[in-house]
Amino acid sequence: MRNVNLPPLDPDKGEWDEKALNRRRFLEASFWVAASGGVIATVGAGIRFLIGNSLEPKKESWVEIGSTESLTPGSMHRVRYRLRAKDAWRTVEQSGAVYAITEDGESYTVFDATCSHLGCLVRWQEGDRVFACPCHKAYFDHQGQVLSGPPPKPLRRLETKIENGVLWALI
Amino acid sequence: MSKLGKWIDERTGISGPVRSFLSYPVPKYVHGNLLYTLGGLTAIGFLLQVVTGILLMFYYDPSPEGAYNSVDYITFEVPLGWLVRGVHHYGASAMVILAALHMLRTYFMSTYKKPREINWLTGVLLLFLTLAFGFTGYLLPWDQKGYWATKVGSEIAGSVPVIGSWLASLMRGGEVLGQATLTRFYATHVVLLPTLVAILIVIHILQLRFHGMAPAITERAKRNSRKFVPFFPHWVVTDTILGLGLLALLVYLSWSQGVPLDFPADPSASDFVPRPEWYFLFYFQALKYFPGSLEAVATILIPLFIFGTMIVLPFVDKGDERRPWKKPVTTGVGIFYTVLIIVLTILAW
Ligand code: HEM
Ligand code: FES
Repeated sequence: MRNVNLPPLDPDKGEWDEKALNRRRFLEASFWVAASGGVIATVGAGIRFLIGNSLEPKKESWVEIGSTESLTPGSMHRVRYRLRAKDAWRTVEQSGAVYAITEDGESYTVFDATCSHLGCLVRWQEGDRVFACPCHKAYFDHQGQVLSGPPPKPLRRLETKIENGVLWALI
Repeated sequence: MSKLGKWIDERTGISGPVRSFLSYPVPKYVHGNLLYTLGGLTAIGFLLQVVTGILLMFYYDPSPEGAYNSVDYITFEVPLGWLVRGVHHYGASAMVILAALHMLRTYFMSTYKKPREINWLTGVLLLFLTLAFGFTGYLLPWDQKGYWATKVGSEIAGSVPVIGSWLASLMRGGEVLGQATLTRFYATHVVLLPTLVAILIVIHILQLRFHGMAPAITERAKRNSRKFVPFFPHWVVTDTILGLGLLALLVYLSWSQGVPLDFPADPSASDFVPRPEWYFLFYFQALKYFPGSLEAVATILIPLFIFGTMIVLPFVDKGDERRPWKKPVTTGVGIFYTVLIIVLTILAW
């Protein structure tokens, strides 16, 4: 290996070990293999660690909306639900808002109050019978369909069940 | 050199590099123009954030149950807590303003041209990282403002076509905003971002030292460009005095305005209208103009386009001309974006 660009050494100091220099290519290659292997393995494991469990779908749970008697037909009821659920390594009380309505006292519709645009909470306006989202001025009708504004899809409808006169929704 | 200085220098060899750093010749046209202090002031702003941030960490509790109360405690019960938190709070806004003004200075003077491309590119990254500081810091008090701004912010990531829901989950550490989100934001805010920003500032400044300031562009400045003053003390004194002025302003704001803390985060409260921090208001306002299927255009395409044009700028605008009044296109585009951002911010205020 003659063509390596090493600075000449001061003869008083000593000289490059020519024999060792012959292995320079090989050592360089070894360095790159070892270092990139180490870096790739570390970064790969690190990325997997950081992703963690974040891509697991949220566990759905049944939350109590209220007794069917309290839900008078024809009017929209705002319900603030609570549940104890696991949040990463803690078990905490979570809360949220839904709207429940029944026309006939038999079939119930429950909407997640979370706007389908960017997640603000919508409010029911009894006068106009619309849901209004304050964030980007969107309106939904009483079926949860978009009337105007940026939301790309209707409000989410939750699965419901009635047990012993109590309405439950799957959130 | 003192005896101690000698002792240290014999062991570290530090005096040479330090002396050449401090005796760096600063051209008079730079020394005489306060616009050139904006970068240094941004650096001082960053230092203030680091110092007050480390102090805050001694009391802050990064959990949804504890965060709000710990911030409340810092603000109202820890001696000088209002001051430390206040300076950190207003300092964040100051850093955004200073970095933005500094960028406008370098942009309108076309200092991004060869050979200063890397200076510009590290600058663009620093600006976006400064905004990332703002975004991650906003959540930490776990109050209504931070909670809802983050909710909307992560949904914005969620509106990216195809990989959106994925991105949003990665950002939150799960499908819902909770403990995992707070821990992620906290680690990013106090370790990851400061490290990256510190490294980039070092590269940014070493690049500047390597090339020197971009040459003067006005006739008056050119006449002044063959006279120099040393970086220390001449230039450093200017920056120090302005830095103290900045600190005084932040102290005054903390004292006269107090530091805001909203009600504790409540995921079921719909009487709260989410709003981002003021420097994201223009973006928040812009989203209102893009309904339904055009949503992704506003949320992701436009920001990507702006970031992309900033990145390619030094490789596209390559001529020798650097006088802004002779460069109607870049000057016009710069003014257009500046005015647009100001107007959108005012509309959303
Ligand atoms: C954390 C944020 C930042 C810090 C601490 C910082 C620091 C500095 C300092 C101290 C200087 C020299 C003095 C001056 O020109 O004002 C400088 C120069 C420069 N900065 Fe920044 N900067 C930051 C952000 C940015 C941004 C956002 C950009 C543009 C996108 C940028 C682009 C430049 C360029 C091109 C120069 C060279 C100026 C010339 O040659 O005249 N910097 N920076
Ligand atoms: S979040 Fe409801 S309209 Fe944007």
